Formats: sequence, C-alpha cells, structure tokens
Amino acid sequence: MKLRLCLYLAAISAVLVAAAPSHTAKRPRYGGTLQVEIGATVTSLDPAVAAANPEEAGAKAELDALLYDRRGEDGTFAGVAGSGAFRVSEWEAGKRAVLTANEDYREGRPFVDSVEIQMGRSAHDRVLDLELKKTDFAQIPAEQARPAADHGVRVSTSQPNELLALVFLRGGPGIEAARVREAIARCIDRAAIVNFILQKEGEPAGGLLPQWSSGTAFLFSTETSARSAKEIRSQISASPKLVLGYDSADRLEQSVAERIAVNAKEAGISLTSRGISSPGNKPAHGTDIRPGEAVHVDARLVRLRMLSPLPRVSLTAFIETLGPMAGIVDSPLPQSASPEDVYYCERSIINSGLIVPIVWMPQVYGISARVRDWKQPAASETWPLAGVWLDSSDAH
Amino acid sequence: MRLLPRFSLLRASVISALLVFAGVSARAQTTAQFPSDWTNALGSLADKIAAVTKRSESLSLAVKNMSSLSAADVGGLHDVLVTDLARRNRRITKESLADATLQVTFSESADGYVWIAEILDGVKENVVMVSVTAPNQKTSGREAPLTLHRKLIWEQASRIVDFGILADSASDGASILIILDAGKLSFYKSPDKDWKLAREITIEHARPPRRDIRGRIDLQAGKARLPDAECAGDFRHPESVTCTTVTALADPEIPRQSIAVQGRPVEDYAVLAPVCDDSPLTLVTGQGDWTEPDSIQAYLGGNPENSASSKIQFLGPVLELWRNADGKSARAVSRNLKTGTYEASIVSVSCGD
Repeated sequence: MKLRLCLYLAAISAVLVAAAPSHTAKRPRYGGTLQVEIGATVTSLDPAVAAANPEEAGAKAELDALLYDRRGEDGTFAGVAGSGAFRVSEWEAGKRAVLTANEDYREGRPFVDSVEIQMGRSAHDRVLDLELKKTDFAQIPAEQARPAADHGVRVSTSQPNELLALVFLRGGPGIEAARVREAIARCIDRAAIVNFILQKEGEPAGGLLPQWSSGTAFLFSTETSARSAKEIRSQISASPKLVLGYDSADRLEQSVAERIAVNAKEAGISLTSRGISSPGNKPAHGTDIRPGEAVHVDARLVRLRMLSPLPRVSLTAFIETLGPMAGIVDSPLPQSASPEDVYYCERSIINSGLIVPIVWMPQVYGISARVRDWKQPAASETWPLAGVWLDSSDAH
Repeated sequence: MRLLPRFSLLRASVISALLVFAGVSARAQTTAQFPSDWTNALGSLADKIAAVTKRSESLSLAVKNMSSLSAADVGGLHDVLVTDLARRNRRITKESLADATLQVTFSESADGYVWIAEILDGVKENVVMVSVTAPNQKTSGREAPLTLHRKLIWEQASRIVDFGILADSASDGASILIILDAGKLSFYKSPDKDWKLAREITIEHARPPRRDIRGRIDLQAGKARLPDAECAGDFRHPESVTCTTVTALADPEIPRQSIAVQGRPVEDYAVLAPVCDDSPLTLVTGQGDWTEPDSIQAYLGGNPENSASSKIQFLGPVLELWRNADGKSARAVSRNLKTGTYEASIVSVSCGD
C-alpha cells in the first residue's frame, strides 16, 4: 500500500510545477507599501481632539482605527497610539502620514509593511490617480462609481448603508404644518435622484432602514405622487415659505436639495434650498451661523451612516441623532426588541412626517489591481487595511 | 387513426396524475423536512393573523419571496401556513370571494428571515411578522462519475489552524475531535450526538502569532505544531498532552510546492488514494482570494487538466486542505463569509451518483 501511495505521489510530482511562479494569487504575502488617498485634511490623530467637519471626523475615525486597538465605552478610540495594527512613523498634519506595520499587534502583524496616506485629495484627483495607478486605495463618491468603473478603476461597492434624509427642524404643531410635511414627502422624486444625481448607485428610501438590514423596507412607500401632494397643498390655507438647508461643502446634498426644491415647486409649495456650514459647526438646531450672518432653515438634509448591520442597533442610533433635531421623543428600543417592534418604531417616526427618508447610498472604494483580500467593510466596520496584501505580480 | 388521440389523452392523464402525485409527494417531503423553528414561526404568524381577523373570515392569500429561500421552500411554507390558518378557522379563498386580503412576504434581514403578513380588511391594514434564524447554507456536490461529499464537523469564531478526529479508546464508537487554533489545542469528546469539551490547553507565544498562521496536527505522531509551539502526547488521552514554546519550528510541507491545474498554480490541494479505478485523485481549491466563496473539485491525479467531479461550494475561502491519514478523505478548514465563523469539514469522494 505504501509503495502504491509512493507511486501515486510520484505521479503527482510529475505535474508539480518546478517553474511555477514564486507566488500565487491566493495565499497572502507580506511586504510592500499601500498607497492611500483621502479627501479630508486630518490635522490631529489624537482621539481627544475634535474634528473640524464631518469629512475630517470620518477620515480620522478610519485612521484611528488603524492605530488604536480598542474603543472606549463611548465608541471613541482609547489606549495607546500604536497599539493597533499600525504605528505612525511620519506625520505632516493635514498633508501626509506614513503608518508602519506593528510587529506586535495582538491580531498579528499586518501584511503590508506600511501605509502611505495623502490627504486633501479632491474626488476628481483620487479617481484620476486610481486610473493612473498612482494610488492603491481611495474612497469615491457614490455618484462617481460608474464613471470610474467605466475608466477601468476596480470599484468596491458596499450595500447601501448611508441614509440621506430630510429632517424638519421646526416641525411645528398643528394640522397645517403636518400637511405641508406630508405634501413635501410625497412630491420628492426619489427615483430621479437615484437615477440622475446618484447615477444609479443607491436606492430610494421610504423607511429609516434599508431592506437588506431590516427586511421590512418594502413596507414603506417610495413612490412619488405629485398629484396627491398638490391635493394636500390645496387643503392648506396659506403655504409657508420654507428653507431647506444643506451642507455647503457637499455637492451631492446641494444637487439633491435643488431637486427637492423643484419637486416642491411643482406641487405648489414654496421651498428654497440654501447652503449652510457643516453640521459640526452648527451651534443650534434650526439656526446656522456664518460670520456676520444668521441663516434660518426649516429643514435640512442629513447624511447618516449605519452603525451596525443589525436593524435595532442602527435605528436606535438614528433616533439618538435625529430625535433631538426633529423634536421626536421616543423611548429607546430594548435589546430584546423583535423585528416587529423595530418596524413599528420606524413606522411611528415616518408617520410623524418629521423625518423624510430620501435615498440609501453605498460606500464606494477604488482599489488597485494589486490589492488582495480586500473585504468591503460592513456597516459597523472600518477600513480593513491590516488584512489586505499586495500581489507583486500586479506591481505599480 | 382515432385511437391515437384517445391513447394520447389516456397517456396524458396518466402522466398528469403521476406528475401531480410526484409534486404532492415532493412538497409533502419538503414540508416534513422544515426545521421545527420554521414551522413554529409559521404557527406564530398564523396566530397573529388570526388575532387581527375574525373567526371564519375568508382570506385571499398571495405569497411573495424576497429572501434567499428557494421556490420549493416557499411553496412548502405556503402549504403549512394554509393548514395552520385552517386550524384557526381562517379559510383561504379566491380574491373575489374573500372578506380580506392577506399578503405574505418571505423577507430576510441582517438577523435572519422575516416573514411578514399584511392583512387588508377594507381600509384597515394590519402588519404582523415573525423572525426565523436563517440556517447556514451547507452544500454538497452531486456529480458523476465522482461525487464529493462535505461533512461539516465543527465551527467556531476563532481561526482553526488544523483539526483531526480519533477513535476514543475509552468508549466504544465514540470519537475525539482535536482542534488546533493559534491560542489553544482543544479536545472534544462525543458521548452522545454533541461534542463536549474535554480539555483545552493554552498555547503561549513569545509574540503575537502571524495573521496567516499555519500549522498541523499529526494524529499518528501525537503532535500538533505551530511555527513557534509544539504540543505532544497521547491524543487519545488528552490529559497526557502538553504544549511548549519552541523556536521557529519549520514544517517541511509549509509552504507547499504549487501544482499547476488548468494553467494556474495551486498551493492548496490534497492527493487522495484511488476511489473508482487505479487513478489517484487530487482535490483542488478554487481561484480567488480570501474574500470570495470557494470550492473544491477533484482532478484525476496524473492529469490535473481534467476535472473528475463537479465542485462543492463553500461560502468562503478554503484556508487549508490536507489529506487525511486514511488517504480516502481530506480535511478542509474554511471561513464562512456569511457568518464569519471558521469551519472544519471532512471532504470525501464516492463513485458514481
């Protein structure tokens, strides 16, 4: 039997590839520098230092997740910088950072030797550098995913996990205010926003949770009904003039706000869109202060990333953020909340008309061909750069 | 000439009857195979529907599938629900004769299945739902002339480096399962159907283990090796096993020399003894990196260009594939990308069917 087995092994050896490449594209390899470009300018990696705007806060959270092993109870990163997968070896605030693999990282040394991060790169430049293979990894605005893919960029798109919603900041009591909100909710052409503004990278949103997370999103209508919006409008004695605020630095929000204003106008509602500074700088709900100017807004667009794929966790976080803005007082969902409990909580918020979901957007990343084992982060996860490796056969 | 149509009619009737019988049998079989939590959930859904409808109320029923359930499963679940509703004196009828409409949607969330009933009675609409844990998808191939079979042995959250199964000398017919991961060597015994932890030995490391740590269990030698640690003893007597730190222990088979299969280098494979004829078999993992579903396929040993079986699919990458000592099967460690758990499976081969 042993002799037979030896013969079999010899037969197999005959097909062993002595000249096979020194690597395969499957099992990870160590080494190399991962080139990363981000749009934000991060001025400090210290978790205790507040970010100037949401873009910086988002980027900082991603970088801190690479440097710190653990988060504190409040979700912020804690412990010693460098306890994570990487350590900072070079730092130019707001411009550039080089992170080096931590040999003693609890979960094992990252595959790449280092990560070099260029900051303040515009979306256009990031896409261009991906096309020219000057970078390995960059986040791309959802609306630019298709054009980038058309230009040969390897694109990784998550499940839609970021909600763009309209929040009425001063909902106001009374039937008429509620009717105005209902009319606006009905007149928004979500399909057009997805198809034209987002270039089909997203989904119309009727509820506060996406279908893949809750399984119940289909129970919330996303249909446009300009006719019923007009009917509702006709029942209101005097239509107020409303101002819809959006983040002036966010071109997507601007496009969506302008589109909503057009939809509202078609329904006979006076709504104008207006750029305001980032929510991070907003001192009070409903009022935005720029130097020498106070801007009143009745509603504003808000982007919300899901904190977890689990519907209860994400809905709870959304309520914590949006509730105070819209004046919604809702008891928190218990740990044991069933899908039915989550649905009815979501339904009661939507029925209030104070929060109008518009679209669900995915996170889109451009990745070079040599990056392997890239796994699109789920709703609660950060960039998994410690787990990727560079295939030397696809060198820059 | 007139006989032909009559014969055809008769034959058609017989065939139709057989098809109906086969269909009913298949559905009955499917229904009987549903997990108990599915049928319990449908019972709860029927209770909830009954709570918002009147006794003896007739309902029109429409079913929609928005989940990963198969059409056959949905058909079977539909039948179970109709039976459950009938037991609660709710009758399913045509839409034109119904007192209320019942739309049932088999949906799916990040938590599992969500089965939703929308009951529209005039202008009043009620929505009720139940949730069900989605089972792990377990697939096995069915191909000729060779068939690969996958038996899932164990799953856990931490990465499995290797595993092995031994007969338990202390107990007739029982087995010992040994799981090696980066931090421990675990022994499980199966006094009944379930594996029960018998002993767990912590493996110390001088520094954090590599992210892609590899190692092996050698049952015959009574050894389990990691790059910087070794456990030794009589694995049939876990209490005799000890683990020690060693310096850079090299396994001559890691990394393995690649073989070429259909022009691509393959590093993860297992050479098995012949099953159907005198040709040895090579089990080979699929292409792609560790972010993708994977597969294992058998190739005839001397000719790795010709597949000898269809693929068996895995819900994530196959991280390790080793030949078992019996030469007839292989042990595969894979990661289920859907659940995030690591799975230890035995892959075996049979002739035909």
